[in-house]
Amino acid sequence: MTGKQRQRLLGTVQVSLILAAIFVMLVPIAWIFLAAFKTHVDVYQLKLFFTPTLENFGTVFDDPYRLGEKLFNSTIVALVTVVIAIPIATLAAYSFSRFSLRGETLMLVIILATQFVPAVVIILPFFVMFRDIGLLDTRLGLILVNLAIVMPFAIWMIKGFIDGIPMDTEEAAMVDGSSRLQVIRNIVLPMAAPGLLTSGIFCFIIAWNEFLFALILTNKDAVTLPIGLALFKGEEGDLWNLLSAAGIIIMAPMFVLALMIRKYFVQGMTMGAVR
Amino acid sequence: MRDNTLKYLLVLPAVLVVFATAIWPLIEAARLSFTVGRLNRPGSLDQYLGWENYTWAFFEEPAFWNSVWVTAVYTVLTVGLTTILALGLALLLAPGGRLRSAAQTLLILPFAMSPALIGVSFRFMFNPEFGLFDAFFGVVIPPLADVSWLADPTLAFAVVVMADVWGWIPFLTLVLIGGLASVPRDTIEAAQVDGASGWRVFRDVTLPQLGPVLAVVIILKAIFSLKTFDQVFMLTNGGPGTATQTLSHYIYFNGMKYGQIGYSASVAWLMVIPMIFLTYAYAKFVFRKA
Repeated sequence: MTGKQRQRLLGTVQVSLILAAIFVMLVPIAWIFLAAFKTHVDVYQLKLFFTPTLENFGTVFDDPYRLGEKLFNSTIVALVTVVIAIPIATLAAYSFSRFSLRGETLMLVIILATQFVPAVVIILPFFVMFRDIGLLDTRLGLILVNLAIVMPFAIWMIKGFIDGIPMDTEEAAMVDGSSRLQVIRNIVLPMAAPGLLTSGIFCFIIAWNEFLFALILTNKDAVTLPIGLALFKGEEGDLWNLLSAAGIIIMAPMFVLALMIRKYFVQGMTMGAVR
Repeated sequence: MRDNTLKYLLVLPAVLVVFATAIWPLIEAARLSFTVGRLNRPGSLDQYLGWENYTWAFFEEPAFWNSVWVTAVYTVLTVGLTTILALGLALLLAPGGRLRSAAQTLLILPFAMSPALIGVSFRFMFNPEFGLFDAFFGVVIPPLADVSWLADPTLAFAVVVMADVWGWIPFLTLVLIGGLASVPRDTIEAAQVDGASGWRVFRDVTLPQLGPVLAVVIILKAIFSLKTFDQVFMLTNGGPGTATQTLSHYIYFNGMKYGQIGYSASVAWLMVIPMIFLTYAYAKFVFRKA
């Protein structure tokens, strides 16, 4: 075999491997997308060709499933979590980025470490407390515990963005007589806005997909979408066409959001350990 | 206001939130772990018990050791498989170009999926009657044609591992692609000019340069593997029997299903200990860069 032939063979092998990898990655997702448009008869067969129907999307919103309520809960919980977390995280991130504080490294390490505390450890005391003060099965309770998983990401991610903003504009404004708070509002916030939006979207995805807290804290009124999946376990087994329709409602919006912030996903997830 | 006061005021709300949502629960869970702690018995949450919950877990509960074993095997397998496959995929996709960039974009999708939904989707894929992966493995490995994956302890475990690996490969791949981009091109070219084979270049140049990034993803993946709950709950609910019962699932089951908050808090704390070491290792990498 000549060198050129070997090169070409190697290229073909690589392309086939890439295509195979894409296939394996997409098949479980595609299968859900297909099943969501199948009738309950078609879904129980390995069929690739079928007459698509939108019926499942209607059924999941009707009695007794009422997925609309869960969609509403998920949206409110994730949105309010982000709206609380981002401003608080921004102030802290600015301070961590621009000043040197006593115990700064310790604080940053603890914030980082909280992300790694197993959710099941955090939820036991919260369950007991919420039971006593009547916050079980409420959106408010869920928002409060969601802050536990979102805050560390938000602080670290926003700190990364603010670290990247040059300080000289701020210093010039201070010389001209602006106060520190004015500088934050008039200079830092506009420049950090895209980063804040990115962090907000990232945290929204995390809160939206959160499972264990909602499983333990909610049972009826505050049930979120991922927990709602359990509704489609009928007496005769899983209702796959409905599960799939609900699955699309859960994942499709997150796909759109994730693609919007795709460049920052890795950075956010590793909290600055990899750049 | 002087900056010296302001800088502490700015971090105060965040520190308070982190304290209330993460530090307080840890302390309270530690306290609960030394109590009788039965959900259905009023007052038992303050009834001091000493170390009995811990000794119970260690000496009287084979189910605890089972979940430790399941979690350990699960962590080793998922970390190993995910890292190796992701490294391969990263090497394949790193050169760029249209197909490879498209593949990189698609990789974000599984990662945006709720882990609970990944569990559901794999239960679907391995359904004995109409699961696509079930059918595929039935053709490729004929002895597996008629098995019911999730009813067999070993195979159910394999499915849980596969679901996890599938869900995490994209993230690790993207991180490693980033790491590969920072390996200096001229070092690689110099090695190639010296006549080193592709494998030697990878082993002697690329891999050492990739070391720190590789360490970071392995630690991070190990942390998430140890915590695994969502997919397991949706896929097998720990079954069949307790074949796939991870520590998180064991804690959930004892605490929420049997109402043994005190006991489950003690197991939860046992789980925090390896986390402390992993987090310490991780933090070292984060601050090395800063």
